[in-house]
Amino acid sequence: MNLRGTLPTLILEALEQEPKHGYRIAQRIKERSRGVLDFKEGTLYPALHKLENDGLVESYEETENGRQRRYYRISRVGRAALAKDRDEWRTVSRAVTLILERG
Amino acid sequence: MSELLERWLGRATKGLSSDSRLQVWAEIWAHYESACEDALAAGASEADLDRAAVASLGDAAAANREYRKVLLTSAEAALLRETRCGLWSGSRRWLWLLPTLILIAAVRFFATGDAYFGWTMLTGAAGFTLLFSAFKLPVFTPNRGRIFRALRWLWLAAILALTMKGSWLLLITSAWPLFWVEWKLSSLRRKLPVSRWPKQLYL
Repeated sequence: MNLRGTLPTLILEALEQEPKHGYRIAQRIKERSRGVLDFKEGTLYPALHKLENDGLVESYEETENGRQRRYYRISRVGRAALAKDRDEWRTVSRAVTLILERG
Repeated sequence: MSELLERWLGRATKGLSSDSRLQVWAEIWAHYESACEDALAAGASEADLDRAAVASLGDAAAANREYRKVLLTSAEAALLRETRCGLWSGSRRWLWLLPTLILIAAVRFFATGDAYFGWTMLTGAAGFTLLFSAFKLPVFTPNRGRIFRALRWLWLAAILALTMKGSWLLLITSAWPLFWVEWKLSSLRRKLPVSRWPKQLYL
């Protein structure tokens, strides 16, 4: 399914509970959507950099299994943006459901 | 590193600065390794690992287009290096001769009754003083930087208008390199998180 435009919100959701590195973020999105939302992982990192540039996530280096990884955590501004995106999504989703399931 | 992954990275990082390239190589390499480990644990054959892991990254050209929007390109990194010149740092004290001489000229013009040239020179001296002392001013927060840049543009507009006596065509043609540099710098401000802004991006 095409994720265009929703990937930043899904990334923020994936980081809501705890910091993660890029690969775990991709896995989390796929698992939580039960495989419906599949995307090319090469586009995940530019989206992460954009979120970082906008101050919605912060990054830091950490070693995992002897390997240096860049971890991302959601910022205070990012949490506020996620809450706003959630509300908007619920409103849009309800409206589209009303239209599509009418007949 | 697998040949397929190396080729993908080469295309995805084309035109990026060396720092950006290193960053992308490190994160994609770590991603690739994790994907291979998970696939091995799930029982995938070694022969398919590489191809599947690289395929999951998607089109390298599309990734390159996205990376160019958020990471520094080599041209932008060069622009940052060029604008980091000591002109601003105040380390070249002889540069202060310029506003001093212009100020002396302003006083002379006022004394001889030529108020127009007097004001032009005074505006010039004020602007150069502002520019040369920028590194010592408390302007290194995004909001203060915005105010400083607005003042600098006001000064530039004033000095160009005064020296060219309202010839807008001449003004625009002579000022376009400044607009171009400022446009590129504003794109850099969007690309870099504020915590990583070098000093010249505030100015």
